[in-house]
Amino acid sequence: MNGIPNPALRIDRLTKRYGDFTAVDGISLEVARGDFFGFLGPNGAGKTTSINAIVGLATITSGTIEIFGNDSELAWREARRLVGLSPQEYNFDRYLSIRDVLIYQAGYYGLRGAAVRKRADDLLERFGLSSKASDTFVRLSGGMKRRLSLARALIHEPQLLILDEPTAGVDVELRIELWDLLRDLNAAGTTIILTTHYLEEAESLCKNIAIIEGGKLVAMESTAKLLARRGTTTLSITVERPLSMLPPALAARGATYDAGARVVRLLDVPPDAIAATLGELTACGAAIENVEFSRSSLQDVFLELVKR
Amino acid sequence: MLNAIGFCNPVGFATLVQRELVRTYKVINQVIWPPIITTILYVLVFGLGLGSRVQNVQGVPYAAFLIPGLIMLQVIDQTYGESSSSLFQGRFMYSIQELLVAPLSAIEIVTGYIVASILRALVIALLIMGVGFVMVHTLPQNWVMFFGMIVLVSTLFGAIGIIFGLLAEKFDHIAVFTTFVITPLVFVGGVFTSAQFLPPLVRRVSLFNPMFYMIDAFRYAFTGRSDVAVGISLGIVVALTTLALAIALRMTASGYKLRL
Repeated sequence: MNGIPNPALRIDRLTKRYGDFTAVDGISLEVARGDFFGFLGPNGAGKTTSINAIVGLATITSGTIEIFGNDSELAWREARRLVGLSPQEYNFDRYLSIRDVLIYQAGYYGLRGAAVRKRADDLLERFGLSSKASDTFVRLSGGMKRRLSLARALIHEPQLLILDEPTAGVDVELRIELWDLLRDLNAAGTTIILTTHYLEEAESLCKNIAIIEGGKLVAMESTAKLLARRGTTTLSITVERPLSMLPPALAARGATYDAGARVVRLLDVPPDAIAATLGELTACGAAIENVEFSRSSLQDVFLELVKR
Repeated sequence: MLNAIGFCNPVGFATLVQRELVRTYKVINQVIWPPIITTILYVLVFGLGLGSRVQNVQGVPYAAFLIPGLIMLQVIDQTYGESSSSLFQGRFMYSIQELLVAPLSAIEIVTGYIVASILRALVIALLIMGVGFVMVHTLPQNWVMFFGMIVLVSTLFGAIGIIFGLLAEKFDHIAVFTTFVITPLVFVGGVFTSAQFLPPLVRRVSLFNPMFYMIDAFRYAFTGRSDVAVGISLGIVVALTTLALAIALRMTASGYKLRL
């Protein structure tokens, strides 16, 4: 190992086929220890299939997966012990109370005894589920089910927590509450991988992001770099009357003109150069109707990368 | 927290067995009481009612002859039911994923379901044995054979239950094996009659019925007599159990309909 600790997750040329259909097509990626990693992509891009392969819910067609250096097929016991999964679909045991859901899940991971029961009670408390401890999961509200799913994923103290759409169908208040919980866990050293459809969620939480489309990785960078890809800021100037042509000085700086909307757009204009830019337009006789200065969002980058 | 996982996961295995017993307890009105009630009715109507007009069979009154066959009937039915429906429900409601993401091997999972089947079978067998003792004053004479056969047959049908629990695409498919294989073969396999009473042709055909050997060998534990040498019956049951276990293990290990 040369003294360098293994990454939390290393995927090497992972491929998963179902008959003729290739769900995951040779993806390779690494997630560093302590990372908060976003795994994004449109529906059917291969996110859940990749996650299932990581946690052992799907077999692998080819390629390898290592979890803290443990091969998911050769050292599967150790690999699985280190991972906690909160899946997209609820898969709780309906014969057990929610307290027992946690205790039995710990049991499957080889853990038992008073310490496990205490941890289960602590997690129920922390996730606001104590009053429901002896109910079965069907009696929980949607938000409570999400929280239980997270509590169950944490019962065996995994070092890598994988969350597949953890805030799907959750109201805004609870979503923010879950975000805080996840940030705390990450700060305490748990590596987190998250898939989500809410791009502002990934933007707000994740340090690094991979985007998958049609089973292939189309981007893998730090969130900051990914956001910078498209230019971090956009200056949009709406003119009162259509322009016959862009002033050459602006065109030279990469400005674009949307004739239909009468909008001139420029990326990454330093704030102190905004006045000069407007001046160049008015000097050509254009009258300014509106000016907008906005930061580009992950959504812009995402849409550009997964254009079909 | 104590973490005992190394080469194997005994705590995980024990947790699965415990979970299956909790499930059995939660569906006790479907899986424990019906076999007992049915047995009492069989003994009353066939054993004590009709049976009083039948001569001794294998040297014992007809009602006493009936008891071991009825135990086997319920053991077969309930062990198949335990593993097949638990596994199918787990697949259907995804809760099987709780096992699949955990560090549990195929051997631990299969053994877990089978040990739970054996325990369910023992509870039912001992309850029916109690019924037999109270109603017709019969008890096993050979306890090794009694427990040995229950364990063997439960293992066989627990494993078959796993196979069908994996094959089934809907609940209905689970019932196919019970309705079209288990029930007919058990009923013609000597629960109610000794092979000696059957016409020669039917007797020869029943030699192809595996249930016949199970019931015959199990009855030996009670009456000390059997239609076929006990060694032959045991050999056949051991062979079938080994085969079913191997198939169940192979399917589970390959992740058939479990790991997508």
